[in-house]
Amino acid sequence: MKYTRFEKARIIGARSLQIAMGAPLLIKIPKDLIDPVQIALLEFEKGVIPITVRRREKYIKGPVV
Amino acid sequence: MSKITEKAMIKRGLSKKLAEKVASFYTLEELKKADVKELEKKFGKDLNKILKAVGREIELEKVKAKAKEIKKVKKKKAEKKETPPKKKKVSVREKIINIINKRNEYLPSNIIDEFVEKIEENNLTDKIDILVEKAIEEYNRHLMEPLEACGMVAAQSIGEPGTQMTMRTFHYAGVAEINVTLGLPRLIEIVDARKDPSTPIMTVYLEGAYRVNREKAMEIANKIEVTRLINIAEIETDISNMKIIIKPSLKSMERKNIEMDDLLKALKKLNKVEIKKGKNEIEIFPEKENENYRELRRLSEEVKNIKIKGIDGIKRAIIRKEGDEHVIYTEGSNFEKVLEIEGVDKTRTVTNDIHAIYQVLGIEAARNAIINEAYSTLQEQGLNVDIRHIMLVADLMTANGSIRPIGRQGVSGEKGSVIARAAFEITVDHLLSAARKGEVDELKGVAENVIVGQPIKLGTGSVELAINIKKFSKKVKK
Repeated sequence: MKYTRFEKARIIGARSLQIAMGAPLLIKIPKDLIDPVQIALLEFEKGVIPITVRRREKYIKGPVV
Repeated sequence: MSKITEKAMIKRGLSKKLAEKVASFYTLEELKKADVKELEKKFGKDLNKILKAVGREIELEKVKAKAKEIKKVKKKKAEKKETPPKKKKVSVREKIINIINKRNEYLPSNIIDEFVEKIEENNLTDKIDILVEKAIEEYNRHLMEPLEACGMVAAQSIGEPGTQMTMRTFHYAGVAEINVTLGLPRLIEIVDARKDPSTPIMTVYLEGAYRVNREKAMEIANKIEVTRLINIAEIETDISNMKIIIKPSLKSMERKNIEMDDLLKALKKLNKVEIKKGKNEIEIFPEKENENYRELRRLSEEVKNIKIKGIDGIKRAIIRKEGDEHVIYTEGSNFEKVLEIEGVDKTRTVTNDIHAIYQVLGIEAARNAIINEAYSTLQEQGLNVDIRHIMLVADLMTANGSIRPIGRQGVSGEKGSVIARAAFEITVDHLLSAARKGEVDELKGVAENVIVGQPIKLGTGSVELAINIKKFSKKVKK
């Protein structure tokens, strides 16, 4: 599933809040990296964040005629 | 034997060498019966001469005809063999669709159409995979993401250029000298869905002979344009004899294709008058009881404005040549009646009266009319607004099957939410009446959520997060 940019922002936002409040990290990060948002971005890229989105409806894609 | 044949052949106009050759194979009798094909094998180019000599030319022609037929059949067969590529051409479309389906993607059919055309044109069948992939990528890049505030973007995109529009109201459209409302006033008119445009105009396209022949086009223009009595006759008021004298000008009547009978017919519609037809003039008397000066004046005005010919509402019709066809531009509009006239191309004729289009052609046509009118108004001012923003506005206006204006009586005033309506205009009235009726606000829209102080259901605010705790705890333990 591909995330829209809003979903991506929301996931990274939620995760970086957790990290900022002291949550354990899920990947090894470079020592000089201290910004929670940067860390969350890194985690998102690696695909290890266990947070996902709940979509109300499947985004509609028209039939191929 | 052979020498006799040789001599006979020479007599019949063959060269000595050829005659010798022929004689070595055939006698005269044999030659007359021999198979043409065999002869051809033996003598090749000289066959013609030999056959002539024996009096068998007709046969030769038959053979030739047969050969031609065979060739034709062969050609046909060859063509048939060539047709398979055509079948392949059909399958270009299928191929594309297959690729798209395989990747679980989507392309609109008009893009596919264009694609098929271009691929066939440039012979790119073998690169079809890469091309389709690129096309899908490009198409997806141009899509708006789900949850995006497209209405906001549309409003800004139309609103900002709108501030740059000139207030200058009138403009003469080209050579035709027809007055057209343009610019901001026109845009407001469209968005407000006014019943009658302030300057209705029509562009009437013609078909068949009317299209190319100026005389015929003129005929239609005369049928459309309203002709009043004052346009074709001199009208005098004779006070001493209490009568109105009409002196028709034969010249202008002929130009407008009007007969004297038409004129009299139109005059018969007048009430309480007596009509006397003279040689070159028509006299009109008011009835005996009504014989006074004021009545005469009133009657004179009425007579002047009698409609003799034409369609109501169309004040002027001008013919212009565009390319190889004649097009009629009219001041004033009557879509329904004009479409009924023979020779008018019903598929292309347009009016700027959106409500008329709605009534005659339906809501989808009205939507297109809104898009076209708004787009061309902006374009005319040199403002390039993406057509999709205007489409969104047009969609909103026509979504419930009728044309709704954007504003108090329309889209904004009919919102489901009380708070949203109150936020728009006349706040107190809306709140009071909602309280009386006991209305419920479900807080689904944007405006009400802003007022209440909640995140709006758009963009990031609309994403619901879910977390897999088991997965999370496992990862942490590691």
